[in-house]
Amino acid sequence: MSHQVLDTLFLEERKFTHIIKQPVVRGVVNVLLAFAFFMALWWVFMDPRGWLRWYTPQYGYMYIRWLLIVAIWQVYIFNFWPFKIEWLEKTHPLQKGLIMIGINFAITGILVWVFYYWIFGKLAIPYFSWPELKKTGLSDFFSREYSSLAILMMAAIASWLSPIWPSAFENYPWHRLQQPAKGFTVLAVTFLFTTYAYFIFMHPHYRVLFYPWQEYTAAFPWWYESFRTLSGNFNVGWIMCATVSVWLTETILEHYPFRLVEKQPWRGLAGFAFILLLAWILFFTFTFMQDMVWGVSVEGAKRLMAPDWRYLHNGELAVILLTVALALYFYFDNWPRKFSTEVNLLVRVAIVIVGAWGLHWLYYKFSPGLLGTQAGYSHPQQFPMAPVILFINVMLYHGWFMDCWPGRRIRKES
Amino acid sequence: MEKDFTRRTFIKGMAVGTMAGYLGAAGLSSTVFKNQLLPQEKLNQVDIGEIKALKIKVVSETSWYDNNVFLNDVKGAGGLLVNQYTIPWTCAGVAAGYQGSNLGGFSTYIEATLMDGKVMKIHFDTGWNPAWMEKRFREEGVAEKLAKKEIDFMVLSHEHIDHFFGLEATLKFYPDIPLYVPKGFYQEGFDFLKGKSFPAANAINNIPHRGKMTVLDSSKVNILYPGIALMTFDVPIILRVFGEQAFVFNVKDKGLVLVTGCCHQGIISYMEEVRKKVKGGEKIYAIEGGLHISPFEDWDPQYDDLIMAFNKYGVQKIGCNHCTGFITAEKMHKAGLPVIKGTARNMTKRDIYLGNGDELAIA
Repeated sequence: MSHQVLDTLFLEERKFTHIIKQPVVRGVVNVLLAFAFFMALWWVFMDPRGWLRWYTPQYGYMYIRWLLIVAIWQVYIFNFWPFKIEWLEKTHPLQKGLIMIGINFAITGILVWVFYYWIFGKLAIPYFSWPELKKTGLSDFFSREYSSLAILMMAAIASWLSPIWPSAFENYPWHRLQQPAKGFTVLAVTFLFTTYAYFIFMHPHYRVLFYPWQEYTAAFPWWYESFRTLSGNFNVGWIMCATVSVWLTETILEHYPFRLVEKQPWRGLAGFAFILLLAWILFFTFTFMQDMVWGVSVEGAKRLMAPDWRYLHNGELAVILLTVALALYFYFDNWPRKFSTEVNLLVRVAIVIVGAWGLHWLYYKFSPGLLGTQAGYSHPQQFPMAPVILFINVMLYHGWFMDCWPGRRIRKES
Repeated sequence: MEKDFTRRTFIKGMAVGTMAGYLGAAGLSSTVFKNQLLPQEKLNQVDIGEIKALKIKVVSETSWYDNNVFLNDVKGAGGLLVNQYTIPWTCAGVAAGYQGSNLGGFSTYIEATLMDGKVMKIHFDTGWNPAWMEKRFREEGVAEKLAKKEIDFMVLSHEHIDHFFGLEATLKFYPDIPLYVPKGFYQEGFDFLKGKSFPAANAINNIPHRGKMTVLDSSKVNILYPGIALMTFDVPIILRVFGEQAFVFNVKDKGLVLVTGCCHQGIISYMEEVRKKVKGGEKIYAIEGGLHISPFEDWDPQYDDLIMAFNKYGVQKIGCNHCTGFITAEKMHKAGLPVIKGTARNMTKRDIYLGNGDELAIA
């Protein structure tokens, strides 16, 4: 890029020594390692046949979503603060990984249990707190499920808005601040926007979730007339497409084309608009594909034919797309890089579409046996986004915290 | 703009933009041009014939007595995806339960009068708690008909605990009863039918089924007798169950009557399938059985979508119960849907829908 980038992350400055020289072997080994780690995490925390069995489903899914956001905060917003560059360069990836993942888990736990359950849910909105919701007379099980859903919906929006500031705006106008002032500022701003967005896009879902409708506390779902469902899944769907768009532009699309805009904040605004546009293109394309395969959804229907499930599945399809894009980015050096930008991008997009097609098939073919989920596409109590995002989390841990070791290691002159 | 942003770069950018535009157009087509681009729906309706009359008796719709106890069993086991054969369901110490057990069960007795006057007697599902089910079978005269082999066949709607684990209560009276099950039963289900018990789940069956068993799949409308058909749905269900089937009866001069177990496929999805596949499917006269909307008195905005859409189908009688949920029934009444009230006896808690011992007759 020939324009002046206002702020860069340590991630972008890293230089690597390839431990495994052959690129395809390196990529495959790393994918297999990430998958093994993912399977271990899934078995311990989520699998309905496993140890803790948190995938009930919303409870475990909530943690998965927040682990993702916290990892984004650690790396994109705080740029690894409080750790110093020298420490990141000299410390063994395994040691770094254990520490960083430990912090990731700890912050997630504190957020859920302290911020949501004990503060926000207790003192402001009961549906954010499992114990508070239970006090209203709801069953223990659904208290936990409903509160988990609310907390993870907040995470869904955060996963879209949190990385936009460092990625598209390059932290403008706070790019000159030092950490942690910069991190806390960007965190506060993006979380503020996340909170506003939550109340516009998700809170109306809770008006109609409880019986009787909570009409004095939330607006009627404003999307109902146009999109034929009262469910917030409509917003979850397109917002997930937006999240995926952020990371597609950040990885395989290399900020193209909005990087062509010379100055901030216009570059950031163009980036935000492009991400939104791409999100809606993905969302409507996936809707159309589903209509072609299964027929047009029917108002009030369940499962495959339910409009709200179709919207949710748009998000699921987008996340599958992202998984392939991230694997290409992290493990196969964002191949190809030798052609012009436009050709590189087109080839990558083609790879990602074909790869997503394959991953989609693999997921629905093997997930019942591997993950303990139920066969079939549409099930009211399972979300392919949960295992797929957990796998994405593992790739982020591996790529961000552990430098994709043992395939490669960081070089000291980064 | 970048200094090297030349005409060539611009053209390349346009190429990328065109591709994005194409994708965008595909997206647009899902709304604006949808009807022009999507293949037209083709109806493939089968004539299932007619019956003269239909009588549906709710033997037991109370599958469990305390929602919290049931849900705590599920939560303790690891949630709604855990295999039902591994969950230690609570069978004692429940104040609201039957003899302290939280387990009840679902079963319906159906009499369909064929056009030649012959009455087909159908045992639909066999409940959960064998003690409770046997009591209800005796009270409603089903046990006697089973023992005399007057019942023509049994249909299992699906493999769920509350429709299936009370198998012994049926086989005790009629071990060789002809049986229809939907495609999707797990091996545990077939083993249970053969007399294998699952003590961890308090699922006991010491009497092997010895009659003819037919597994029905979703490839076609399965006509059992003129005017009596079963439709199977390949539907994934909570507690690791797959597949459900439900009845379609065609009552002369009335129209189609749908009788369901739990209707996990969704009642509107079911009506849509019937509309596409069964002659006369545009007019559903009545619905009876579980509609699986708020079985745990939980809620989801999707369920409101269903209630708001229901009126468009013009159903004249809704004899719902069981997993429909009381909240749903209240909302349906409020929405003006023709939900038939019951008598709230035999442990059915409210009269808001058809309960244990209530009957729906269509002739």
